[in-house]
Parts: sequence; structure tokens; C-alpha cells
Amino acid sequence: MDLSLDESQQILVDTFSEMLEKECPTTHVRDCEDTGFSPSLWAQYCELGAQAMGLPESVDGLDMSLLELGLVATQSGLAIAPVPFLEIAAAGRLLAAVAPEDPLLAAIVEGRPAVSLALPRPHAVPGTSTTTGGRVLIPFGTIADAVIALDGETLFVAEGGDKRRSGRVEDIGASALAHWDLDQGTDARVLTSGPEARRAMTRAAAEWKLLAGFWLTGVAKRALSIGADYAKERVQFGVPIGGFQAIAHPLAECAIRVDGAELLCHEAAWADESDPTRFEMLASMAFTWASQTAIRTADISLHTHGGYGFSTEYDIQLFYRRARALSSVGGGAQEELQNVAQLCFDSDGSGEAESLLGGPR
Amino acid sequence: MDFRLGEKAEEVKREIRAFLAENFSEADRKAAAEDGGGHDWDLYRKLAANGWVSAGWPKEYGGGDRDPYEILTLYWELCKAGFPWIGLLNNGFIGHTLMAMGTDFHREEFVPKIASGEIAFALGYSEPGSGSDVAGARTMASPDGDDWLIDGQKMWTTTAHTAQYIFMLTRTSTQDRPHRGLTLFLVPTDAEGVDIQPIHTMGGERSNGVYLTKVRIPDSYRVGEVDKGWSVVRFALGLEQAMGYSDIHERFIQSAGRWSLASGPDGQRPFDDARIREQLAQTAVHAEVSRLLRHRSTWLAAEGMELGAKGAMTKSFSGTAYLEDAQNWMNLVGPAGLLKEDEDGALAEGNFDEAFRQTPVNTIYGGTAEILRSLVAEVELGLPKSR
Repeated sequence: MDLSLDESQQILVDTFSEMLEKECPTTHVRDCEDTGFSPSLWAQYCELGAQAMGLPESVDGLDMSLLELGLVATQSGLAIAPVPFLEIAAAGRLLAAVAPEDPLLAAIVEGRPAVSLALPRPHAVPGTSTTTGGRVLIPFGTIADAVIALDGETLFVAEGGDKRRSGRVEDIGASALAHWDLDQGTDARVLTSGPEARRAMTRAAAEWKLLAGFWLTGVAKRALSIGADYAKERVQFGVPIGGFQAIAHPLAECAIRVDGAELLCHEAAWADESDPTRFEMLASMAFTWASQTAIRTADISLHTHGGYGFSTEYDIQLFYRRARALSSVGGGAQEELQNVAQLCFDSDGSGEAESLLGGPR
Repeated sequence: MDFRLGEKAEEVKREIRAFLAENFSEADRKAAAEDGGGHDWDLYRKLAANGWVSAGWPKEYGGGDRDPYEILTLYWELCKAGFPWIGLLNNGFIGHTLMAMGTDFHREEFVPKIASGEIAFALGYSEPGSGSDVAGARTMASPDGDDWLIDGQKMWTTTAHTAQYIFMLTRTSTQDRPHRGLTLFLVPTDAEGVDIQPIHTMGGERSNGVYLTKVRIPDSYRVGEVDKGWSVVRFALGLEQAMGYSDIHERFIQSAGRWSLASGPDGQRPFDDARIREQLAQTAVHAEVSRLLRHRSTWLAAEGMELGAKGAMTKSFSGTAYLEDAQNWMNLVGPAGLLKEDEDGALAEGNFDEAFRQTPVNTIYGGTAEILRSLVAEVELGLPKSR
């Protein structure tokens, strides 16, 4: 057993941590609230090779693992960076797997935030949205030139800019959402079809969710440290409020859950190469738990602030809103639990599949 | 990065499963659950004969020199099988403590007998007036010639009725702050003046209250320096808190999973209901996080790294999450969930009933979740002491 990062992974963390500390203070996040996207920050990401980190060398990528992508995602979450790192990473890897010659992949490698994904949502609550075909809410749909979507067993690219894309719709997390019309129509470009198409999209969605889990873990970590710092400074009844168990214990409970989220994300990313039968289950668990943890931690931290936590002047509300938003963009924790159940206990739908619980194999 | 416990641990898993298949029948499991004492001498001596009692100790003390991953696996497999293992656990802790903090006499007189399964120890920290505030112990040990006389009362002394000794926290001074006047003794359960009375619990576990009246103990049975017992207790408690209940949590969710996929009395599968799938998944996520926290504690111990409050995190989360799951399952499954194993119509071999009765204590003994959260707040978050 070895739960530590190796030297190059630690360097990667430090590199992004330093860059984000300099380029993405919360004042910058606030400056980008109107669009949810920072072109200058994305340029910094691309300078460090982030747009092609997880792509194979054959398409000029850096051939890094999901763990390494995840470490960057956690740093991004700590800074709530307004960049489409998750979408570009997942969409790029999907294209590299099924259509390595596709021009969109070259655009990604060049650093254009060109593509987003329509995540399949088989367990969405009826009556809340369209999740396939029709109008679908797409993260960073405001800036994408194209969206990859699955319809039945056809994986296709929807392009066509403003014909398909609505204007920006404002959301609580500045997620750069736009509605995209994802009827295939006649102009969609089919990438692949049949069971392979479904498998490829399932895989891409699992990768997005795992990376979102890493990101949310970063959001939770920063929310926790903001809350703990405030609890040490804020004096009421003549003492720092962190000395009251009513304040300290909920924060401690969050600290435990945040560690659990980080471990679960790391395990899932490790499983991709070393325990592949459990990868999708663990990725789904990681998204669920990191969602629950980030939302809870931001909530506890906000309430540690009392009334100030509710004011826009304090930073904790930025994290409170974004924890919720990123989780919901992926469907949300409750919806994802349905996926977890399927993957844990009935992975092939037969009712006879061996449970994947019980630790690494 | 590597999340596997390693080949040696896998080998232990195979060995213990083979041991259980040979020595621990379904009837034994039910008898252990019925008895609730947490210790069975026949089974325990078989474990000792195979070297498992001293498996984690260094070779120089006759131990097996097994690494923390192997010991984790040993406990994990026994616990999941429903083996009465509390005695084993206590004796492992006490052995470690005597080796680290005892005298040559302790190491020669007691340690080999623990290893061979000849003797067993119960833990005597809690009292009627001191639980979480363990340093508030009032059981007095007073010098009397070369001996000590112990008077007082202990609570929750599980396995005292089957053990030969109690590892007992006593007060030897009231002059200084409470934790500076504590001393540990090894108290024979058959000494004159020791009276052990049963305490029965909702979870089916049998514990004990121990009354001590002028119990004469030679000074050679003292562990650690006089009035410096707090460091001994902290050492022993630290070993305990790094564990948690992820093993039995895993057994619970695997049982619930099997149950949900089979047809019930009405011919339908519970799994086909979204509420059941949601609860299965939430429990599975909790169990996985709980296991990971425990594995991390084990990894830190194996690597000799600073544990901080990571052990407290492990136990606090594990106790809390399993309790919450057990209660939420009961909210879902209706009256049949109330039935014990072997009752007509019981669900999942009484899984839900058993967990509902047993989990409340998980956030209490060995350090309450509340005490552990205070530790986490202070050590991991740097918050001021809150009590």
C-alpha cells in the first residue's frame, strides 16, 4: 500500500497551485461571474499543457493518467477556477478514443475551449429537463463550438454555433450554461455508433464525474479552511468561536468527510489502471461523495460565519454556490446514487452479477 | 500509489478463511451471538495455537512479526465472520502496551502467556462517574507496605468475566491535575475483593461492572510509573481508535445487497424500488469511505508516519455513518425489519434488526464520536480546545 503522491505528481500539484494562487485569486473569480469563463486563465492552463494532459502522445498529448488530471482538478476546485478543464479533458479523451482524426481534437490541442459534453442522465427525475435530443443544458455551452452527445446508440458531434446554442442562461454557480439543441438533424457529425458508442460515452461520463469529484474535493477543502480560519479569528462572548463545540464539531466532521472524498477520488483514479473492473463504480461513488461533502462543507463553513457568510462580500458564498452548481451539472448526488447502486450490485442487469464491494482486487 | 494491502495480507485472508472454515461453524457463530461475551476460550486457544494472538508482536517476544496490513486483515476476516474476537483485540493491545511500557517481569511473566492463549485481559478504564473524561477515574490505589490496595468501581469491563486480569486505571494522587495522578495495574480477576457483575446491552453484548474492595496488588503488577499512567492509557487508546467498524459495515451492505436482489414474499425484488437502490448506494459509499479511512490509518502506522488525529477520524466517521445507515434502513423496510435472525419472515437473516440494535454503541465505546471530533478539531484544524 502506498497512498502518497510520487515526486512528479507533487511537482504537478505545486505548479498549478502556484499558478492559481497568482492568476486566480477570488477577486478574479468575481470578475468572471458574468460569463463564468476566464480566457486569460485558460491561456495560463494551456501554457502548462492542461488542455492536452490526458491525451495520448499520438495526438500531441502528455499521456498523463486520470490521477494526474484529478490532481489538477482539485487545485482548480480550491481556486474555483472559471475554466472548462473538466469538459475539455473528458471530451478530448473521448475523441482520442473514437475519432482521433477529428478536427475538434486538433482544436483542443491548440488550446481552444471548443467542445463540451452532454452527459447522459438515465436516472433524471421525469419532467425536470431534456437529457437527450431536444434542448439540453450544457456546461461551458456558452463558449463551446461543438457538443458531443449520445442519442440511442449513436455518438455524434453537434456543431453550428448560434443555430443550436441559446444565449447564456444565468445560474447560481456561474457555470457558463447554455441550452443546446441536440436533435441530430441532418448536420450532426456521427463519430461512431452501436454498442461501442454507448460504451465510449459511458466511459467519458465516468471520467468527467471522477474529475468533477476531484474538483469538488478541492472546493470542499478551501471551504473548510475558510471556515476554520474564521472560527479562529471571530470572537464572541470574549473567545474565538472555534472553541465552542457547536462550531468546532461540525467543522471536524467535514474535515473527516473531505479526507474521505480525497481518498475515494484517488482510489478511483488508481483503479483506472490497476483495478479496472471497479473503476466505474468508484468514479460514480467519488462524484456522489465529493458532491455531498462539498455541499455540506460549504454549508457548515457559511454558517460558521453567521450573517457575514450570507453577504456577497465574504468569499464563502462563492464556494457555497459553486459546490452546488457543479454537482447539479452532473445530475446531483441523489441521481448519481442510482448509478452507484447499479454499478455496485447489478453491473450487468442480470441480478446475478458479483457485488463489486469488498476492496481492491 | 497503490491501494492494495499486499500479497502478505492476501495470504492472511486465505489462512484465516481456511481456519474459520475448519474451526468456526454456523452453530458457533450463532452461539457467539447468543452469548454476547465477545470471547470464547476454546476458539481463542485454537487461534493462539496458530500464532494469531501474538501475530503482530515482534519475534523476540514470540510474536509473528506480522505487518499492520496483515493484522488489519486478521481482524477484518474474524469480524466479518461473526467470530467472538473482542478478547483477541484487547490482548493484542495489552501485549503491545506491556512490551512498550512494562517491566522485564511483565514481559517474562505475562507476555508469553498471552501469546500462548493461557491468559486474557479486560480493559478497566471507565467508571460510573467517568466515561469520556477517562482521566477523572476515582478508583483509588493506596500504598500498603510493598503492595497496593485498590478500592472503587469499574464500568463496561467487557470480557472481565472470562479474563484472568483487568488492565486497570486507578488514581494514586489527588494532589495535582486529574491526569497527573493516575497509575495502571494488572488486577487478577480472582483476587480477593473483586466482584464482577454482568451488564446486558441492547445490542446483545454482555459487559460487566466490577466492584473492588481492598484488593491487594503487589507493586510488581504496576505498569508504568506511579502517577504517570496517563501516557500508558493514551498509548493503548491510540491503538484502539485507529480501527472503526468498516469490516462489519461491509458485511452489512453485502448482506443487504444479496437480499435486495432476491425475490421477497410477494415475488418482487426490493432492488427494483428506487428508494432501496438509493439506500444501498449510500450505504455502499459510506462503507467504502470508512474502509479507506481505516486503510489510511493502517498505512500511516505501517510507514511509521505521524498519525495526528487520523485514527480519531477513522473511528468517528465509521461509527457515525454505520449508525445512520442502520437507522435509515429501518425507516425503509417496515415491520419485517424488526425480526431477529431465525424468526419467521425475518429479512436478510436479521441483518437490519442486528445492525439497528448494535450500531448505537459504535459512536460511544473506545472514545465517543463527540470526544473524537474535539480531537480532530484541535489536531487537524488547529481550533482551540473546546472542553
